[in-house]
Amino acid sequence: MRRRLLLTMLLAGMLLPAGLVGCGIPDRTEVLVDGRGPAAGAGSVNGSGSQPPTRSTTTDAREYINDYLAAAAGERDGAYDRVKKFIAPEAQRQLKKKQPGGDIELTVVRPLQPLDTRVLAEGITRVTVRVQQVGVLRADGTLAAPVAGDTQYEFKLGPAEPADQGLWITELPDVLLLSDTALGRYYSTHTIYFWNTDQSRLVPDWRYLPSTLPDERRVTEVVKWLTSGPSEWLAPGVNKVPPGTAPINNATGSDGRWEVNLTMPAANDDRLSRLAIQLAWSLPVTGQLDLKIQNQKRRTVDLRQERAANPVYPPLRAPERFCVYDAAIHPLAIGNEPVGSVPVAPAANRNVVSAGLSRAGDKVLAALVVTRPDRKQLLMVGAGPAPVAEFHSSEKPFRSIGRPIWLRSLDADHPFGLVVADGKLYRFDSGAGMSEILVPGPVTAVAASLDGHRIALIINGALYVVPVSVDGGLVSVGQPRQLVTRLTNITAVDWYAENQLVFAGSDGRQPAIYQTTVDGAVEYALKRDTGAPVSHLAAFPGGAVGPLPAMSFMYQATLAYRNNPFEKIEREQVRDVAANAKASDPTAPFFLY
Amino acid sequence: MVTALPPDSPTVASRRLHAARALWRVLAARAGRLAASAHQTWRRSLQLRVVTITLVASSLLVGGFAYLIADKITSILLESAQTDVELRLQHGSDYAGKQFRTFNQPQEAQFQDTLDGTVNYLAGGDPTQTNGVVVVITGAGIIARTSPATDIGPLISPQLRTSVAAGNVAHQIDTGTLGGRRTKYLVYGSPVPTNFGQVELYYVVPLDRQDAAARDARATVVATGVALVLLLGLLAALVTRLVVTPVRVAARTAQRLSAGLLDQRMVVNGEDDLALLAASFNQMATNLQRQILRLEEMSRLQRRFTSDVSHELRTPLTTVRMAADLIFAERDGFDPAVARSAELLQAELDRFEELLTDLLEISRFDAGFAMLDAEPTDLVPVVHRVTERLAGLAERVGVTIELDLPDPPVIAEVDPRRVERVLRNLVGNAVEHGEAKPVLITLGVDQSAVAITVRDHGVGLKPGEEKLVFNRFWRADPSRARQTGGTGLGLSISLEDARLHGGWLEAWGAPGKGAQFRLTLPARAGDRLTTSPLRLVPADAPLPFGGPRDGGLLAIGPGSDGALAIGPAESGDRAQVTS
Repeated sequence: MRRRLLLTMLLAGMLLPAGLVGCGIPDRTEVLVDGRGPAAGAGSVNGSGSQPPTRSTTTDAREYINDYLAAAAGERDGAYDRVKKFIAPEAQRQLKKKQPGGDIELTVVRPLQPLDTRVLAEGITRVTVRVQQVGVLRADGTLAAPVAGDTQYEFKLGPAEPADQGLWITELPDVLLLSDTALGRYYSTHTIYFWNTDQSRLVPDWRYLPSTLPDERRVTEVVKWLTSGPSEWLAPGVNKVPPGTAPINNATGSDGRWEVNLTMPAANDDRLSRLAIQLAWSLPVTGQLDLKIQNQKRRTVDLRQERAANPVYPPLRAPERFCVYDAAIHPLAIGNEPVGSVPVAPAANRNVVSAGLSRAGDKVLAALVVTRPDRKQLLMVGAGPAPVAEFHSSEKPFRSIGRPIWLRSLDADHPFGLVVADGKLYRFDSGAGMSEILVPGPVTAVAASLDGHRIALIINGALYVVPVSVDGGLVSVGQPRQLVTRLTNITAVDWYAENQLVFAGSDGRQPAIYQTTVDGAVEYALKRDTGAPVSHLAAFPGGAVGPLPAMSFMYQATLAYRNNPFEKIEREQVRDVAANAKASDPTAPFFLY
Repeated sequence: MVTALPPDSPTVASRRLHAARALWRVLAARAGRLAASAHQTWRRSLQLRVVTITLVASSLLVGGFAYLIADKITSILLESAQTDVELRLQHGSDYAGKQFRTFNQPQEAQFQDTLDGTVNYLAGGDPTQTNGVVVVITGAGIIARTSPATDIGPLISPQLRTSVAAGNVAHQIDTGTLGGRRTKYLVYGSPVPTNFGQVELYYVVPLDRQDAAARDARATVVATGVALVLLLGLLAALVTRLVVTPVRVAARTAQRLSAGLLDQRMVVNGEDDLALLAASFNQMATNLQRQILRLEEMSRLQRRFTSDVSHELRTPLTTVRMAADLIFAERDGFDPAVARSAELLQAELDRFEELLTDLLEISRFDAGFAMLDAEPTDLVPVVHRVTERLAGLAERVGVTIELDLPDPPVIAEVDPRRVERVLRNLVGNAVEHGEAKPVLITLGVDQSAVAITVRDHGVGLKPGEEKLVFNRFWRADPSRARQTGGTGLGLSISLEDARLHGGWLEAWGAPGKGAQFRLTLPARAGDRLTTSPLRLVPADAPLPFGGPRDGGLLAIGPGSDGALAIGPAESGDRAQVTS
């Protein structure tokens, strides 16, 4: 008994160290369940926008092609798949697949209705679509200048199989087409902002987003756009975000709380605060934004507060309308709008042909085109508190000078303006020193946007937008980008809103006034027949301020007119007319703001 | 050099078998010897037992503690890793869920980009900074993404995938090749809900750091434990040695004391218990020595007294003897009553003289003065001489003396005077107690010894009296007056004579069956006796249990005190031995 106990103890004594060596992290364990995983929460719903049309069983070739031209709209990943549903299987390879790694680009065209159809054989229809190339919709939502020069595309349609399934495209051009109406219908436009070159002002950049995108994706897209830079045409005028800035994965968030994670080298407070302002104006949402840099939360931005604290534009006073009456500037009294007083001293307010006035802080910038006795014209420039009495005259006279405009810069001490004189574009300063800015072709008119970094030019009767940057008193102008419009022989242009232009030209039969976006994608006729070619066009781009309705403009087509509603500006509406003044018609109306 | 032999060769195989068996036997024998010697050592060494028990007990204790500690360290390491990964997984799952929530189809290119981005984000971007953590996103309908890029197929077991696909957060430890080397790793998996189903997020975290730490801790604990156990063993050995050494010294001293070295003492060191033991031991030894010396002295004085008394009595006795002889010679001239007295006087003087002679003889033996005067002697004439001298007495009591002597002379180196005296004593006693029945004297001889037995058929001896008969002045029946001429010292002197020869004198007797005495002497003086040529118990002696039945069998079995017990066999319990 004792011996057995002893033996057991001995064995145990030997086994214990062995067991000790055995204990440790096991080589393999069973699967241990720690609990239930997260359940699927409320997924984000799609954006409220409408979906592009899918293939219908219509037998109307025109309708079918119109649907086809809209089918590529929406999220890019499925564009080819959506489009291919319209195409007969054997013809699908006619549509080139995108290059691997390359972005899908949609060729935006403006089909000139009605579509030309011709039945070639039983059930076979040829549809010829005459188009105007509008541009190329890129993955970053920008509409770039058109690349293709095609003016028409031909499609052949045949009966689909099975037979009662409508039509099929059997022959087609090798481009992904998108009509401008589909662009307007299935995309929402969105403005993002970039800082100008001296980081003092935000410059809007106009983009398109598929309207079906949910908010989170919109935020993600916007952040991607911001980090990948401005539109091609705008690039010379604005600053990119610091190089190396890129989003880390998607922006996330819900219920007014958003999170954006970025890589950003040298992310100091200055850069971050500018980025915050940029994001606040660019993001299509409201609420709180957690700005993370390299996963570190650096800043929480209340988007609404940030916008309120950092307006894109300095607050505008209610614009006042003026016109030239009897070779002098006179205020206009229209409706219940406030009537201003002429901010130019009466001594200078003589022989005026046209004028461009602008407020810069407390000062008024005044540029007047006056006629000399020899009928040549001079540019008179003065700046100071109203009324401006001291004017400088341009050194040399011109045969004809267009309406001068001021670039709305933050630097009130060094204002600059642009003017077209004798078909050339000039820059002028407050001392009336003029220097020519080289642009290809003769210039007819110039207009500046509210931010002062984009101008619209009419060169050779065509509409262009050009970025402008002011660097240390030097105005440099980027490469002009032509906008495709229906109008030809364009005579006048002005900025109508942040990203809208109003311009006048001929629609082929009669002079008309159209409105278009800054990329020329979507244009509308504002006034189809102005009776005479428009020589002056002045608009207020600041939206509705005071009693002035938004989208207000005035023009001169022989006589002066205004919109909202379209009415002739009557002689009685001109104020401060001297009793002995010669009766004439008001001309060259403009806004002072 | 080993040459491969054809395995099918039977001779080789059998030779090998034999060799193996031989080797096994050798080994077994050696092991057996080793075990036996170990067992012997175990039984003999208190120190070994104490050290072994200490080692075993402390190994158990230390082993148990070490196991607990090592286990605890491992589990703490593992738990911290698990908590860490679980947190990361939870965060990663939330993050991935938010990232994937905006997608409705897994085919979307943006979703694929998001998958890549999410995996890279969760892995922390830089693979060198992630401690080898691999993040995996997989699921039905999507290509698995890993960061850093690695083949996840063998890393995540199908069971874990099944469990996670069923909507569980689960984990598993597994071993596999991760980052180019084989390591243990922890896999945590969580489902990530999306609008189009569920994807699965896994974190694969190598545990080599934890494993190494656990190994280190274990090694430390084991080393400490082993050192502790060895230290305890050493301590036990030292302590035991402290106790055992004095005990061994005491044992050795006691052995010497018992061997007669009475002046052996222990060394007393200090004042502890062992010193007390040594002091007490020494005191005991001193007391014993004193007592023994005193007893020896008393014994010496007594023997001296006997010797002196015998000597002193001899002189007056000689005178008395001379006078008595004179009277006895002249007894015919006295009247019959006086003559009878003279005869009585003469007889008693003979007895007195005989007694005195015996006393002196005994004194000589006691004093150690007895000397053996050995010479080669033929014992047959000695026997004849004794029988002739006792023939008269035998005739008187009606006893016949029978002799059984070998024909050739029986030569032995003995002192013939002493042998004759012994024989005379034995035969005289036999005749005296023979109750008129014959007395048989047998002489036996072999190469190393001679033996003489004297058998009578008188009253015999009661059990136990075989030894008592050799005591001085012993009587079988104390109430019986000493009628016959014995002095009561005869057998004592005979025994001393036999001893002086280096021989044996033994007695056997049974009540009513007579007695037999056997004298065995070495053939050459100084040789040691091992056996006797003659049996002590006569052949016609009755068996103690009355003897077996005629033709019955005897059973031999183990008896008490290691002796053999012999008795009549029970029926049925028999075995047969054949030659």
